[in-house]
Amino acid sequence: MSLPNQFQGYTVEHFFDEMFLDRECLQARAHYEKIFHRFDRLTEEEISERRQQADASFLEHGITFTVYGDEGGTERIFPFDLIPRVIPESEWTVIENGLRQRILALNLFLNDIYHGRKIIKDGVIPEEMVNSSKNFRPEMVGFDPPQQIYAHICGTDLIRDDQGNYLVLEDNARCPSGASYLLENRQIMKRAFPQTFGGMSVRPVEAYPDLLLRTLEHLSPRKSQKPVCVLLTPGVYNSAYFEHTFLARQMGIEIVEGKDLISIDSCIYMRTTRGLVQVDVIYRRLDDDFLDPMVFRSESMLGVAGLMEAYLKGNVALANAVGTGVADDKVTYAYVPEMIKYYLDQEPILPNVPTYLCWKDCDRAYVLDNLENLVVKAANESGGYGMLIGNQSTAKEREEFTRLIKAYPREYIAQPIVSLSRHPTFCEEGIAGRHVDLRPFILYGEDVEIVPGGLTRVALKKGSLVVNSSQGGGSKDTWVLREF
Amino acid sequence: MLSRVADNLYWMSRYIERADGMARMIQVHQNQALEYVQNDQQLKEFWQPVLQSICAEQVHPESDAFQKIGKVLIFSESYPNSIISCLFLARENARMVRDQLSEELWLELNNIYLFFRNGDALDLYNQGSDLLLDRITRFSLVFQGLADATVPHSEGWRFLSLGKYLERADQTSRMIDTLNLRIKEPTRADLMSVLRCCIALSAFRQQFRGNLSLQNVASFLLFSEDFPRSIRFCIRTIDHSLHTLSGVPTGTFSNEAERLTGSTLAMVNFTDWNQVQSKGLHETLDELQTTLIEIGQRIFETYVLLPSEIKSLGERSSANFTQAQQQQ
Repeated sequence: MSLPNQFQGYTVEHFFDEMFLDRECLQARAHYEKIFHRFDRLTEEEISERRQQADASFLEHGITFTVYGDEGGTERIFPFDLIPRVIPESEWTVIENGLRQRILALNLFLNDIYHGRKIIKDGVIPEEMVNSSKNFRPEMVGFDPPQQIYAHICGTDLIRDDQGNYLVLEDNARCPSGASYLLENRQIMKRAFPQTFGGMSVRPVEAYPDLLLRTLEHLSPRKSQKPVCVLLTPGVYNSAYFEHTFLARQMGIEIVEGKDLISIDSCIYMRTTRGLVQVDVIYRRLDDDFLDPMVFRSESMLGVAGLMEAYLKGNVALANAVGTGVADDKVTYAYVPEMIKYYLDQEPILPNVPTYLCWKDCDRAYVLDNLENLVVKAANESGGYGMLIGNQSTAKEREEFTRLIKAYPREYIAQPIVSLSRHPTFCEEGIAGRHVDLRPFILYGEDVEIVPGGLTRVALKKGSLVVNSSQGGGSKDTWVLREF
Repeated sequence: MLSRVADNLYWMSRYIERADGMARMIQVHQNQALEYVQNDQQLKEFWQPVLQSICAEQVHPESDAFQKIGKVLIFSESYPNSIISCLFLARENARMVRDQLSEELWLELNNIYLFFRNGDALDLYNQGSDLLLDRITRFSLVFQGLADATVPHSEGWRFLSLGKYLERADQTSRMIDTLNLRIKEPTRADLMSVLRCCIALSAFRQQFRGNLSLQNVASFLLFSEDFPRSIRFCIRTIDHSLHTLSGVPTGTFSNEAERLTGSTLAMVNFTDWNQVQSKGLHETLDELQTTLIEIGQRIFETYVLLPSEIKSLGERSSANFTQAQQQQ
């Protein structure tokens, strides 16, 4: 009987492959050797057994997300791929330094635009770019948030180009999600492949909830006592509700909805069976727009009337701060390298993907002439919505985007189509290459803390470049290895 | 503990107790019908008092389809007290308070949910309704056992207990009431069925031997000192839970829920069959059910709405909170 050979027929093609060195013979990179041999020798029974085990585990534990626009708010599991993504420590150190540099610069930028606006006065960034950002909050001008930090939790998406260079695709500085999958994926992998971990020296990720709690406690306005932190969720029908309960449970804090909180004399209290309890720090998983019906969208039932007032008086802290959305505006993104130079006097460690801003006449002309070779994105959307991938688009879609870009140039940016790196992934036809990205989670409290790795997302559809869970993406466990 | 969380725990627990009671009720009556009912007309007459007692008159299968009544009471998603509705609502409440539940407890509930959701429950029903109903009652026993064995017996657990015993008292009273609603004098089989619905047959025999009469059965289910499904036992447990929550000694009260429960307990403690008879069994039970509903409302006001605190701070209307209160 011959040994199984799962990688038979695997092709690298013209992409950068995370696992394999070259196109011709399947030579695994040194840090993937053990994984390669382990998965190559898996029998069909072992694979289907472990996959069923993993899927059942997700479903049983209720690790699901809700798909919008699906009748009855169906809960689905976020598809999980068994082959882990591996990052050697030397690479990780570079990523970590690059992310640290980036979050510092973004926070200095936010502080600056809500205060003296030096960066604008010095001509580095045009003023209209800031003022026209949908997520700029005039309420925040002149306000000093606790510890002068705005983005405490940031999920920055990284991709690799065809040479394997890490590039920043976008910063998610409002309410990034995915950290719970990062933690659960590791648990599932340890159960499914305990032997594979042995001798690999995989850096643990389990500290995330503790680090997150410390980040929150750092903001408490009442230093005299143990801070009361809560997680504010839009509720059980939100697509990330599982993550909200998961993180609250792991941190040992209450998960609250807007109706659990009440504002009295510019302080925030939660209703408990023992009466009202004052709240110090709110980890809010609710966008600015819904936070306070008295200040933002008045029809919102999700927020707390009077929250902004309590916040601006310094009686309660919010993480992230209000108005951080300016930093993850995709137009702002284009200027982050300049910010790093301006505020930190450093060269950016992690480069951006080259970006064309449609509001600049010359850029727009180029974009409109080259739609087929570009990715066009709405500046303020997330989750893979509002996007055109030029070479996969129809003439009709391109026409529609041409119209939109002309009508709302500020709202669109374009980037060359980066052929994302690929990673071996279980697919219907066996193991095949699928495009991946990486979302590390950066915590900025007393220090900047990043748990090793992050959430690797994989586009399960053949050839697809969209990794978002709402668009048919899946995820992988991500292993940062201590140096051999 | 968050008020909303207490409310969710209370309702989760209530819905599971309700599903359990419903499963047993269906099983016992289906079983009785096998021997005692000859034709469709009789079947209809047999089920009507039962449906009336659980406020399920609107669940009318086609007149010739009373054979299917069990299936409707299990699977109808439009009937709010069907087993499937109860289990889904229990899970929905649990989903909002997962951090309060042990992993084992959640898995048990989520599994029965998935079992219904993916159609396995219907398959099992088609193999034999007893197989499914057994599975449901076993689930609820395991669930309640796990709740006692794996959840800290602190505040949250008290709310689980309040939900369970209020629902149980309500169910027991409704089961006794079926005896009033029958057109003819309750038969021996009817009395046995009521005892079976309350899993009281062995306990009853120990106390009354074979002396099966309406008086004995109703007295036992109303007044038994130590049978854990008697009305008296349930109300005593509710009274105890409320006083543990507030820290105020029993026999006194610090809120409306305690006052009402305490006075109801005194009433049950100091009533006997003669008084029940002079008032009428149905009237007694009816009044009791109204009181149970009111106790539930007072608990909600005391621990969830916090009207006195909100009033004194006077800021925000509690209107949307009242809407959150769930259907009794």
